[in-house]
Amino acid sequence: MSEPILEINHLTTSFRIKDEHYAAVDDVSLTVNKNELLAIVGESGCGKSALAFSIMRLHNRAKIEGEIKFKGQNIAGFNTSQLNALRGKDMGMIFQDPLTALNPLMMIGDQIGEILLIHNKNLSVNKRKGRVIELLNKVGIPGAEHVYNQFPHELSGGMRQRVVIAMAIANNPELLIADEPTTALDVTIQSQILDLMKELKEESQAGVILITHDLGVVAEMADRVAVMYAGQIVEIADVYTLFENPLHPYTRSLLNSVPTANEEQSKLHVIQGVVPSLQNLPREGCRFSARIPWISESAHEKNPVLHEVSPGHFVRCTCYKDFHFPDGQKEEHNHVIS
Amino acid sequence: MWKFTLRRIVTMIPQVLLLSIIVFILAKMMPGDALSGMVDPNIDPNTIAEKREALGLNDPWYQQYTRWLGGVFQGDLGQSFHFKMDVSELVWQRIVNSFWLSLLTLVLTYLIAIPLGITSGRYNDSWSDRLITGYTYIGFAMPIFIFALVMLWVFGFYLDLFPTGGSVEPGIEPGTFEYIMSKIYHMLLPALSMALITTVSTVQYLRSEIIDTKQKDFILTARAKGASESRVYNRHILRNSLLPIAAFLGYEITGLIGGSIFIENIFGYPGMGQLFLNSILLRDYSVVTALVLLFGILSILGALLSDIILSLVDPRIRIK
Amino acid sequence: MSFLEVNDLKVHFPIRGGFFGGTQGYVKAVDGVSFSIEKGKTYGLVGESGSGKTTTGRAIIGLNKITSGKVLFDGQEITDLHRASKDIRRDIQMIFQDPYSSLNPKKRVSDIIAEPLRNYEKLTKGEEQKRVQELLELVGLSPESSLKYPHEFSGGQRQRIGIARAIALKPKLIIADEPVSALDVSVQAQVLNFMQDIQKELGLTYLFISHDLGVIKHMCDEIGIMYKGRYVESGTKEDIFNNPQHIYTKRLVAAIPDINPRNRSQHLQFRQEVKKEYEQAFNKYFDSEGLAYQLQPVSNTHLVALPEKG
Repeated sequence: MSEPILEINHLTTSFRIKDEHYAAVDDVSLTVNKNELLAIVGESGCGKSALAFSIMRLHNRAKIEGEIKFKGQNIAGFNTSQLNALRGKDMGMIFQDPLTALNPLMMIGDQIGEILLIHNKNLSVNKRKGRVIELLNKVGIPGAEHVYNQFPHELSGGMRQRVVIAMAIANNPELLIADEPTTALDVTIQSQILDLMKELKEESQAGVILITHDLGVVAEMADRVAVMYAGQIVEIADVYTLFENPLHPYTRSLLNSVPTANEEQSKLHVIQGVVPSLQNLPREGCRFSARIPWISESAHEKNPVLHEVSPGHFVRCTCYKDFHFPDGQKEEHNHVIS
Repeated sequence: MWKFTLRRIVTMIPQVLLLSIIVFILAKMMPGDALSGMVDPNIDPNTIAEKREALGLNDPWYQQYTRWLGGVFQGDLGQSFHFKMDVSELVWQRIVNSFWLSLLTLVLTYLIAIPLGITSGRYNDSWSDRLITGYTYIGFAMPIFIFALVMLWVFGFYLDLFPTGGSVEPGIEPGTFEYIMSKIYHMLLPALSMALITTVSTVQYLRSEIIDTKQKDFILTARAKGASESRVYNRHILRNSLLPIAAFLGYEITGLIGGSIFIENIFGYPGMGQLFLNSILLRDYSVVTALVLLFGILSILGALLSDIILSLVDPRIRIK
Repeated sequence: MSFLEVNDLKVHFPIRGGFFGGTQGYVKAVDGVSFSIEKGKTYGLVGESGSGKTTTGRAIIGLNKITSGKVLFDGQEITDLHRASKDIRRDIQMIFQDPYSSLNPKKRVSDIIAEPLRNYEKLTKGEEQKRVQELLELVGLSPESSLKYPHEFSGGQRQRIGIARAIALKPKLIIADEPVSALDVSVQAQVLNFMQDIQKELGLTYLFISHDLGVIKHMCDEIGIMYKGRYVESGTKEDIFNNPQHIYTKRLVAAIPDINPRNRSQHLQFRQEVKKEYEQAFNKYFDSEGLAYQLQPVSNTHLVALPEKG
């Protein structure tokens, strides 16, 4: 039925801070299928970007353990030149801030042309230019011939992000990783970019990983969703299940804290405490337990694992069974945070 | 672009005028005047006083200044009391010498700075980087005149590899190939001495530019494109880091002027720097004022040059 | 009478150029904006980047020079806030967007919060300390935090410090410029709840500037939508969200992602319809320069920028 493009098994990405390694991505396993959009959602510091960067191995000094199988090949052990053959060809990446993601001193045409040149040295200059113009048209940039000779600062934020997308899809990659592609953009531009990404995905049948903190974007875009907290996946399910039957306390809390444009809520839910920093992650037990102190210790697992509650729906730790929002939630904000 | 340049030059005029007033007053405040060192002490003091009166040296400073300024506008910078010739003619001879020395120094500065800066920036925190930054710290700490003296002694006297004074071997026909080679030979040691010291700021600048550019997001984009390490460096990091260095060129000129005063005196090189120091010692204030004015104008032009270069190389900056 | 009244506010920035660097023209950042806020209410100012919403807020508090127009606060004219009486100046405070850069990193929290007190009130050291402690308690930070530096706090906590500073002088109006845009969802919830609580407790009036319609809908009673320095629509929350009239407002509302994945295709269709309408009817809603027309009333509370009839 579904054909996996990417299969990650027990991936741990750790960074060295003062002679010790800390795992920003901790034992993550997931798959992305052809023509599937997997959203990875979580708040800053949860490891979602580190996960995206690990797949492309863009971190300079990270220690990577586990398996990253791309089209059946474990690329975790690839050397730089093997990786370079994949990057930009079979895997494309879209970055968060289109202004800083483009070289300010290079013309748009040259920047897109470069990715074609790197993976096909035999492409003639004319053919390359033709292909760049074709790409610019494809991502909906008006006046492609003119934009070809422009510099990034001459374009608006939305147009720049289209350029970044044109670059990412230039060689028809089978896997597209988008790291917060619309966070830096205005709302109306955001919806245009998201619609464009969807269109391109349908056309190319590529697998897409969409990293975001915005649950609205997830609801609009995702086929499946993985929720990350403190370096781990705490829940993974198809998008309908996740929004209609969320189980993990973190997922439920997060959904309750969104001021949605559709529902009237007088008070938003506030998650107690703060996200632990990388160095202060609990080494064992449920990582979310400190933020739901009203749930008894015994509800948590000693070594929380993902439980398959229904086909394709995984939840970490057993605490979801006993979770409830605290009584008198209205006073929630009065808890002193220090 | 031309408009901008013209505007900058127009706005330069009041700056230069102010500079000239300060310079003029300072020159006047120096103890003694042009006659003190010139005139035979046995001459009757009354005659000297008459001479002073006749030259207008007893007038209030602003009268003397306007007179001088009037001359400057007509291309007359006055007479050198010491050399008994027009200041403009005197300065012109020296400018040519100083120009070639500065040019060679600049070339050497970049020849040293670019490879060192690149190595240091690309492999930062490696042993070669530590070695290079160590050198730059020594360069910052070492006064240029001490370093120049050491160079002069080691290469000029002890090893006897280079001439120790002058700008050309006496008695060679000007214009011949031999003459040019002799000129370069005479310039080499002073230029190298100066370049080795002044280059350290460029090395540091280039190093920090490269380290800075390495961490930019678009470098990540380049890597995500599958660009090889050498491509990432040559196409993205180096290009983007070298541009500000190019724009720095104008400011280098200012540094060269300061350095040349020491270098030319130590190496006995007949350029503007040497003339400047001599004129101060000889109270030849018409020469001093002319030179300070010239140095000032060169510095301002240097800054202008930097702005123009920057606007040419960086598409984000467009001067109207 | 309304608490804050802004009448035909214009903020134009000169463009310098030419041979002598003279003024060549103006960027009309805010070009004729009028609105009023009732006491104790929250007024939302919405727009995308470049709409002039932030400039409007900054002009009211005197951070940008007002070119023309009038600002009335509690019946008194404060168009030139620097010349207004000290009492009025302390009554209006601002909360900034970025909790990371709006606090001086070299100052202790106690000094940051005490700064407005030192400017406006002559307190003894003891009194000042007491006030700082009260404020910290009010924003839910521990008493020990007064000796810490901003970098020792999380984003949400820093924004609370910024709020503590803003409410130190017991102001009546707070201009909040994108106060939660830099924060994570759960932290954002914390700050929003807190802002609502102190509004009730202290009887505050908010001018809430944001690009996020979800947050605006949650917080505001009345809303103004800005586009290129002008108003395109203003009205109550219900007017704007349930009955948007201007095509630009419709577009903004359509662009908000729907949190229910089941509505996806329906929402996409809606978005495309609005987009089509936007493209076809652009000339109907915007003048020849692409700017909004003057506001016309469509109901008691609801104003829309449409060309004059006839």
